Amino acid sequence: MVKKSKSMDKLFGSLLERAKELNCIYEVEEIIQLPDLNLKEILIKIGEVIPSAMQFPDICRVKISYQDEVILGNDFEDTNWYIGQDIKIENNPVGWIKIFYLEKQPKVNEGFFLKDEIRVLDTIAKRVGDYIMYQNLRSMFGDIDTEQNSKARKKESEWYIVLDLLKKTDPDVFVRISRKMLNNLVWKGIAEAEELLQQFLPLLRYGEQDIVAESNRPLQTRALDDSDQLSQKVFDIATRHMSDDDILNNIRKWIQQDKTSFLVRATSNINSSLTDISQAIRRYFQMAPGEGMELSPSARIGVRAGLIRRFLTDQLEYLVIAKNFIRVRDFYDILQHLIFPPGSHGKLGGKTAGVLLAYRILKNFKKQEKIFANVKVPKTWYISSDEMIQFMYYNNLEEMLEQKYKPIDEVRKEYPHLVQLFKNSHFSNEIVQGISMALDDFGNSPLIVRSSSVLEDRLGSAFSGKYKSLFLANQGTKLKNLEALLDAIAEVYASTLGPDPMQYRSERGLIDFHEEMGIMIQEVVGKQVGDYYFPSFAGVAFSNNEFRWSPRIKREDGLIRLVPGLGTRAVDRLSDDYPILVAAGQPGLRANVSMEDMVRYSPQKIDVLNFKTNAFETIEIKDLMKKHGNDYPGIENMVSLYERDHLKKPMPFQTDFTEEDTIFTFDGLINETPFIKEIDTILKTLQNTLAYPVDIEFASDGENFYLLQCRPQSYSKYDAPSPIPKELPEDQTIFTANRYISNGTVPDITHIVYVNPDQYSKIETINELKAIGRAISKLNQILPKRQFILMGPGRWGSRGDIKLGVNVTYSDINNTAVLIEIARKKGNYVPDLSFGTHFFQDLVEASIRYLPLYPDEKEIIFNEEFLIKSPNALFELLPAYSNLSDIIHVIEVPEAADGMVLRVLMNADLDMAVGILSPRSSILIDEDEQSVYTVTKRTDHWHWRSEMVEKMASQLDPQRFGVKSLYLIGSTQNTTAQAGSDIDLLVNFSGTRAQKNELLTWLDGWSLCLDEINFLRTGFKAGGLLDIHFVTEDELSDLKSLSEKLNLNIDGLRELPLTS
Amino acid sequence: MAGKSFNPFEMAQTQFDKVADMLNLDNGVRGLLRNTLREYHFSIPVHMDDGSVKVFRGFRVQHNDARGPGKGGIRFHPQETIDTVRALATWMTWKCAVVDIPLGGSKGGVICDPHNLSQREQEQICRGWVRQLSKNVGPINDVPAPDVMTNAQHMLWMLDEFETIQGSKYPGFITGKPVGMGGSLGRTEATGYGLIYTLREALKVLKIDPKDTSASVQGFGNVAQYAIRLYNEFGGKVLCVSCWDQNDQTAYTYLRAKGIDLDELLGITDRFGGIDKDKAKNLGYERLAAEAWLEQDVNILMPCALENQVTGENVHKISKKVKILAEGANGPTTPEADKFLDEKGVYVLPDFLANAGGVTCSYFEQVQSNMNYFWTKEEVLTHLDEKMTSAYHAVNDLSKKRKLYMRDAAYVIAISRVAQACKDRGWI
Repeated sequence: MVKKSKSMDKLFGSLLERAKELNCIYEVEEIIQLPDLNLKEILIKIGEVIPSAMQFPDICRVKISYQDEVILGNDFEDTNWYIGQDIKIENNPVGWIKIFYLEKQPKVNEGFFLKDEIRVLDTIAKRVGDYIMYQNLRSMFGDIDTEQNSKARKKESEWYIVLDLLKKTDPDVFVRISRKMLNNLVWKGIAEAEELLQQFLPLLRYGEQDIVAESNRPLQTRALDDSDQLSQKVFDIATRHMSDDDILNNIRKWIQQDKTSFLVRATSNINSSLTDISQAIRRYFQMAPGEGMELSPSARIGVRAGLIRRFLTDQLEYLVIAKNFIRVRDFYDILQHLIFPPGSHGKLGGKTAGVLLAYRILKNFKKQEKIFANVKVPKTWYISSDEMIQFMYYNNLEEMLEQKYKPIDEVRKEYPHLVQLFKNSHFSNEIVQGISMALDDFGNSPLIVRSSSVLEDRLGSAFSGKYKSLFLANQGTKLKNLEALLDAIAEVYASTLGPDPMQYRSERGLIDFHEEMGIMIQEVVGKQVGDYYFPSFAGVAFSNNEFRWSPRIKREDGLIRLVPGLGTRAVDRLSDDYPILVAAGQPGLRANVSMEDMVRYSPQKIDVLNFKTNAFETIEIKDLMKKHGNDYPGIENMVSLYERDHLKKPMPFQTDFTEEDTIFTFDGLINETPFIKEIDTILKTLQNTLAYPVDIEFASDGENFYLLQCRPQSYSKYDAPSPIPKELPEDQTIFTANRYISNGTVPDITHIVYVNPDQYSKIETINELKAIGRAISKLNQILPKRQFILMGPGRWGSRGDIKLGVNVTYSDINNTAVLIEIARKKGNYVPDLSFGTHFFQDLVEASIRYLPLYPDEKEIIFNEEFLIKSPNALFELLPAYSNLSDIIHVIEVPEAADGMVLRVLMNADLDMAVGILSPRSSILIDEDEQSVYTVTKRTDHWHWRSEMVEKMASQLDPQRFGVKSLYLIGSTQNTTAQAGSDIDLLVNFSGTRAQKNELLTWLDGWSLCLDEINFLRTGFKAGGLLDIHFVTEDELSDLKSLSEKLNLNIDGLRELPLTS
Repeated sequence: MAGKSFNPFEMAQTQFDKVADMLNLDNGVRGLLRNTLREYHFSIPVHMDDGSVKVFRGFRVQHNDARGPGKGGIRFHPQETIDTVRALATWMTWKCAVVDIPLGGSKGGVICDPHNLSQREQEQICRGWVRQLSKNVGPINDVPAPDVMTNAQHMLWMLDEFETIQGSKYPGFITGKPVGMGGSLGRTEATGYGLIYTLREALKVLKIDPKDTSASVQGFGNVAQYAIRLYNEFGGKVLCVSCWDQNDQTAYTYLRAKGIDLDELLGITDRFGGIDKDKAKNLGYERLAAEAWLEQDVNILMPCALENQVTGENVHKISKKVKILAEGANGPTTPEADKFLDEKGVYVLPDFLANAGGVTCSYFEQVQSNMNYFWTKEEVLTHLDEKMTSAYHAVNDLSKKRKLYMRDAAYVIAISRVAQACKDRGWI
């Protein structure tokens, strides 16, 4: 680390020198952009700023010559110690700039000036040349316009004058224009033109050859002469067939196009580096500061598409939409803030692409939707994606790129060390310089370093939260801030090699994709309040509402998760706190209605940046309000004042927020500002334009609305709409549902707890009703977590009337995978369901699914027989509650269904859900998906299992343990093992009891080890992976009856060789 | 609904019958009090936000108003049944009678699920409810209050509608209003303080100096917190409190042998009465299992959390030192536990009486609203003390005189007061 600091110091010193020069160039740029200055005034001003870039500004003098003008700086003196550079237009010198020192300076390099100083002069001279050329061009068009205005006078010669001028000043362009006119005439179907084209052809051929072979030079001259005549003919024809205005307009358009062709070339050439493209774009905008030169509509789209491909993504789905919205200007703006290694071919990454497109779409519709005009994106600097690779090369870390092909357990183990390795590595000087410039630009604003990988936020792979984003308070000295920023970038780079993204990629067949990580360094939206810095509020919003708490809320009403402070608390599911939920299309219908729930499910904590500790922190809102309640930006719209049984809106000026009992309800924001309507419009506009549902992140500093991110609405593995098999096997379907369905797949349910609605309604005493609740609570404790489902009548957890549903609180059901409410018809009346409202937010944060069933509706399958007639495990599990066995049925699914488990498949797109019995973890759905990745994975699961048990068998001493033979059966044997599968073994045993115990202990050790291996590979933990069955010789001879006895499907067995 | 099933009104009637037998009430009184006096069933049409019209069913049940204007909450519940409302109205009659406040018993509701309703729609329901009933409710007939899924906001909408229809101001029409809008001070303290007023009197009767007592409290919410404060003021020492831990989804008991420091604990407690377990440890509190509060060597147990906490299963664990069980919660003791406590001679302050501070304060709100003059908090609490004290002594005297278990004595006194009023009016 010491070494690192030293090199940083040195670098920092040279950076300061460079900053002087860059400042000067920026100032020149600003002068040129100043409106209302004539050329002379501009040159004078430039002369004044140049000395500031020199080593000895006090004794530095400048002289500029252009045409007949000579501009001398203050106190000018001619000396012999100077450097000079020509101002050129189209390679012809039209003037020069000279820099003099009044006193002789010690020699450096060849002369008296530093290399960098010479470079600055070159840059400025070139820039002035470009500027003058643009001005000339503009005044030329200006002349034409003026002439056009006085049309009546010299009508015939208007375009001829231009052409003539062109012929003299820029013969190349003249030839190209003539050619274009000819093409144009031919397109119009003019016969004379077609004939002429035949004569034109040789010229073209020579022209082409001219580029490659010098020997054609004489020919070229002749051709040019010819072309002069031909041009004459072309325009003769043109006059006969076109109006003067048309000719003039065309010439004008083509001249412009010609001047911008370099841009088209740079963007369409896949070999041009970011430097080339960036130079082209700069030149394009320098020629016409502000709006840029006009491109023809098709060229404009072409350039845009080229730029999008190069900077953002080549995904066609993106390109087809983005090219209509993202402007060339946007790339110019980005380039001002882009850091990239020399010769870079990198991209900006998915996150940048997502937010840029969303922002442009909103701006595009700002006329229709005025609110969009106020949407902002925080100031951002970008690092191109290939810098990550450069960084790895620079530090000899390239072998890390192969990390992805290692087994996941190794990745998991090595990751912490790898992070440290990255954090102790260095960036190349160019990049450090770039980042240092970015820091100058940001000043002391707090920053967030966000990952923007090439894979991220693409359609179909959202990578939500897989890569890191890091907050920096950025409050130290420049040097400290720079170090912290570099450190953060390295850490974000390292996160591409973490086990979670690796696994995610491997599951989606993206492991071979060449992943690169772009970086966004972004100003954190917010205000300083005391020692803290945070946005007034932030959140995420989804086009589709997958967690509806009322049947009146439609899926397309969307969902907003709002939190005070940094949005980190809205993005992640929280275990100890709650965001405020709003359905954007139905803000009136709130998830929490009773006073108690409104208070209980309000945010209690807030994420902030602490300037004092320079760190990201989570603090209690209560404490923050006590200290800074009155300084919180927009507080009166954020909170309600809590008085016993009453939440009221605070009145401005009257309320001391440090004293009052405040609850973050966002009531003011929701009810009294257009905010919700805005989000709703934003979501709908984006979804309509992009043609897929989106997921946006936003924040507000109390005044402005900032868009932070936009991506396809992300689906985690289990949140994706589950494909539903078309043909439902009747005997394996337990239930179907077709109303108010959300998305998800819940695999491998081993237990169903079914509270029989008919029997429940017949209960006569309140104690018995309460006993049902207690029994459920006990079952919740003993059944395997997230592997059982609860099915019961009406409204679970209903507090008012126990008759309406089982009397439980959240802690009584918090281990279930799915909560199912059954609405059985009573006469003509179907009762309302609760939609889990009593603990809705707890369910959301814990990812517990909710499903309403209406068994008596048409076309609904409800296999009550299975639920009631299957053996009831309640007797064994809770003997004390056996008296409730008519009402509560606990079904051990594998027992009741030949080893199968229950899968609940939910698809909100189809508004359909099914509960079907199927073999454990065999994914019998979506063949496409399977072919992409599950096959390889599946092979993997059985393969290592098989290898390991072979190894184990080879170490099993038959004499010591009394084992005659050992057989592998089940999923590992028939190669269908999945992540959660166990390994079934048959032991032909003939030893003593003591030997048996010893054997079991020995196997148990292996079982735990194998389980650990499986955990490292897959994250699944079962507590043991081996399933041992003792069998006799006789039993082995009759596999069929053995299958029945063991309740296993033995479709083959393999003997494992034991140690000899 | 097929077959017999649990019916709350039948349960209330059965309970009444039991006491009526004790009192040897005649059939006329039974006939009147077993049933409700008046019921209103009506429709409330509402224009919904989406332009459609939805019709909601509303109720008001007036069980008995012999002792004064009816009093009772308004429930918004999606599967409200008339039997539930009837049962709850009956309860209100007894509840007002036991503390001897001049009010009868009512209850009302609307079949609706506020989860499916916007604020505007809920407002329309509130106003619709009042429009249907404005002739039959009012400060001198029947006074509504908040209940399940309704709060101060709903009360203010209803009050506004009522006053608009009447063309005059009637702040006494409804209770549960915020302070400054016709609400009463002292409401936060009322239940907890009420509990301790009765406890103080009980100690006097048992000739125990509060300074020599220690207590264990289940729950650390509003009721428990104020009960502990007043009990400390009287010199009592609380050794432990239990509370729900939201993170661990379980309850814990926090014990400190030298006694808990209320203000210190409040400093580490969230809004819902959850104590920060790590901070409690640092302050020297021992963290024990949920049920440990019940097993401590204290003189007084105060269950102030949930129902069914002292059961046949755990009642044996109660220390021999325990003299009084003061019920701050609703129904914390099961009948089996009651039997055991009775046998062991533990003095029970039944919920019915001991936590009546809330309804009493509601009555004070109405009184103050009617005269449009609002008391200081001290005045409210002084009146509360008087009411609770005399109510306690009436129940205790009867219990002594008739050798009744305190819980039974409370019911007997309540029902006999109502029966008496009906007789005095010549109804029966």
